[in-house]
Formats: sequence, structure tokens, C-alpha cells
Amino acid sequence: MSAASRRWVAADGAHLDVRGLKPPEPMVAILSMIDGGAEKTAFTVHLERDPVFLYPELAERGWIATPVAADPGEVRLRLERAR
Amino acid sequence: MAVAATFLAGAGSRLLPPSIPFRFFGAAVTFHVVAWLAAMAGAGQVPAFAGGLGWPLAALHAVTLGVLAMTAIGASLQLFPVATRRPIAHAGLAAAVFWTYVPGVAAVVVGMGLPSPALLGVGAVAVALALVVFVVLFALNLSGAKGMPLVVAHGAVAAVSLAATLATALAVVAAYTLGAPVDRATMVALHLALAGYGFMGMLALGLSYVLVPMFALAESPPAHRAWASFALATGALALSVPAALGVLPGVLGVAAAGFGAVAAILHVQLMRETLSRGLRRELGIGFRLARIAWGALVASLVLALLLALDVPWPRLPTLFGATLIAGWLLSFVLGILQRIVPFLASMHAARGKHRPPTPSSLTAEQPLRAHFRLHVAALALLAAGILAGNGSLVLAATAAGTVGALAYAGFFATAVRRMTASIIDAGRLNR
Repeated sequence: MSAASRRWVAADGAHLDVRGLKPPEPMVAILSMIDGGAEKTAFTVHLERDPVFLYPELAERGWIATPVAADPGEVRLRLERAR
Repeated sequence: MAVAATFLAGAGSRLLPPSIPFRFFGAAVTFHVVAWLAAMAGAGQVPAFAGGLGWPLAALHAVTLGVLAMTAIGASLQLFPVATRRPIAHAGLAAAVFWTYVPGVAAVVVGMGLPSPALLGVGAVAVALALVVFVVLFALNLSGAKGMPLVVAHGAVAAVSLAATLATALAVVAAYTLGAPVDRATMVALHLALAGYGFMGMLALGLSYVLVPMFALAESPPAHRAWASFALATGALALSVPAALGVLPGVLGVAAAGFGAVAAILHVQLMRETLSRGLRRELGIGFRLARIAWGALVASLVLALLLALDVPWPRLPTLFGATLIAGWLLSFVLGILQRIVPFLASMHAARGKHRPPTPSSLTAEQPLRAHFRLHVAALALLAAGILAGNGSLVLAATAAGTVGALAYAGFFATAVRRMTASIIDAGRLNR
């Protein structure tokens, strides 16, 4: 995973901030978190823009993305393993 | 609503309606079949082909205009706005490009094959008009790019090369149709370098810096080495222009081929490192084609070096052209396209669905496996036919290539059918 991504745990679970990374590193960081088993059920990601190429990869892994409220200029997604 | 809502809210402005990129891809897949059939019609002339109207030239342009540029336009219209973070403007013009370009390419191919200079002239004007509009759309997108300077730089060199390629193409067509006093050999040499390595080559190298890490799930290659490859490749192109125009052709031609070879080796090394570091271990048949293509890219520049050194072998230019166009560019485009199609299809089929179909559920592995074997066989037979000066081997190559191209068309039709069914299904659910 890129050293520039930030990870923390809040009341609503784990968060991953990939803002500032150049494509496709945000996608790689997010999928590393899923594939590496660091987060098994759900986490929130903070991005600069809508990760259009991430969705097929999430679908391939059986995960779904839901937009959540975010600060201006930020895209925030709740990623969850589909039930 | 999860994925679909995110798409429509955030990415809608950067995603074209699926009909636009997919119509370009569909046309490219069709011209792929046409190209092998045209080569079959002129198989006997291929080993000694050194330019001039006829079916070998028609086959060459069915590949370059019909498959390579067609795919490049469809992919650029869709991928560059995502890479540059610039919304798509003038989607209607993109559709107009298609309806001008496709009949134009068909007329050029048939006009070259028959040959019919009048039909070739009409087709060339339509192709030129469509490509001018495309270059303007492409340049507008690049001019406001908000990121990915490396990709943008490659795109800019590709755009300039395309404009220059068009100028040389129109000069040659004017010589054929109007008898214009043009030094055809010089224009053809310029045309080949600018189209093969300038437009298509730089676009392929530039988009690789996004697509290869994306599909391999790897971090981007080290920027300083990628920029070094870009600088060397641009320098090689710049040197090839005066060399083609007859300015110190020996010295500058050798320097251009040498710079180009070093740039290509650097790029291929970066791509290999990216693949080896990627999270995805199984990269599929598409990347096996890409690896063959990278080998052919380097081989084409070694052959270019031999040409610049005036190595006295009459079939060297033909082998060089086949290695550059079929070995490098065609293999690469077909390899990447088979990854892009199910990926984009999944993105579009996601609209209105809580759980979108996966790319793997939209693809068709069996025809792709058949295509891979037949494409490799076709390349090997084509090279053997040129080396041996044997038209029968070339004929066998074109038969393998045609069946392979039909298999590829089967893959594409399956992906589009599954995507369309998924979109219709989502529409029913949302009603």
C-alpha cells in the first residue's frame, strides 16, 4: 500500500484516506485493504473524486459502495461486503 | 442504489453513454476481420510489399485506421476525461466523428484494394475531417487536464503526431488521385514514423502508465524513469522527421532508432516491474498478448535500426512494417481491448443496480483463448512468409488471422449482449 494513504479507526469503524495519491494508487490502496484481509466487512474511504474504475473491482470481490455525506471537494464511500 | 448512484452522481460527466465507446470498439472488431480478409486477397504480394495501391495496402490501413485508430478514438474519448478530470464536452461531436470516420475508412480500404483512386480520395477526405474533429476534442480535453502530466504529455505528442500524420496522408492521396507533385517515398517514410510511433505508439505508451497498473493493481511506475522514456521517445520522433526528409538520413535515422529502442526498453522494463509488483497475479490472456506486443515493439526498433544502416535485404521494410503494425500495435490493442471491454461494460451495466455484474461475468474466455492461439500463429506464419518470400505461408497466416478475428468478434458480441441484457434488466426493475 502507498505510504501516503492514511488509516484510522473512528466510532463508525475503519477509515482510509487516499486523497493526494495519483491514479491508480487510490484504487490499489483500497483493494489492498480488502484483499489483504485488513478489513473483512466494511470501512469508509475518503477520495478526491469518484473512483469510476474501482466499482468493477469491488463487484468482482463481492463488495458494494454507498456514497455518504462528505466535506466539499471530497467523495466519501462506505464500502461493505455484500450479504 | 449504492454503486449506480455513485456513478450517476459523480462520474456521469466523465462517462460517455456506452453506445459511443462501444460503437468504436465494435467497428474496430469488424475491421479486424476485414483486415485479415484484405491481406488474404493480397497474400501473394505481401512478402515483397513495399507500398503502392492494392490489397496489402488496404489490409495495412484496415488495421491502422480501422482497428488501431478506431480503438484509440473510442478509448481516448472514454479514458482521457477520467484521467484528466475534465468533463466530456461535445458528446454529440464524438458520435459525429464515428459516422464520418467509419464510412471514410471503409472507402479508403476498398479504394486502396480495388484500386480506385476516386473512392480512396473521397474516403481520405472523410477520414481527415473526422480525425481533425477528434484531434480538436482530444486537444481541448488535454488543455484543461488537472492531473496525470505524464499521460497528458504522451497524449499531446500523440495529438501533434496525428495532425502531422494526416498532412502526410493527404499529400500521398493527392499524389494518387490528382497526380500532385509529391515525393511519395519521403511522405510515406514520415507517415509511417508519425502514425506508428507518434500517434498510436505514444498513445499506447501513455495510456499504459494508467491501464497497466490499474489492471495489475500495482502502484504507478517510478515517475523519473517514465519521464526519461517519454523524453527519449519524443527525441526519437523529432529526429526521425529530418531523417525522413533526407537531412543526414544515416546519422539521424540511426540516432532516432537508437533513442526509440532505449525508450522502448525502458518502458517495457517499467511495465514488467509493474506487473511483477501488482496484487493481481493472474493477468489473463490479454496481458500475454501485451507481453508479445512489447517484444515486438523492441524488435521493430531493432529492424528500424537495420533499415537506417541500409542493410541490403529487400524484404526488410516489409518485415519491419509487419513487426511494428501487427506484432506491436495490433497485439497490444487487442490485448488491452479485451480487458477494457468487460470492465467498461460492467461500469455501464451497473446503472440502476445494487450489485452490478462483474467484469468476469460479462467476458467470454473461450473465444479469447482461441483468438490468442490463432493470432500468435498468424504472426509467426506472417513473419515466416515474409522471411522466406513465400505467399503460401502468408495465405496460411491470413486464414489463421481471419478465424482468430472472428473469435475475437464472438467475445465482443457476447460482452455487449450481456451488458445490454443487464441494462434492460435494470430498467425493468426500476420501472
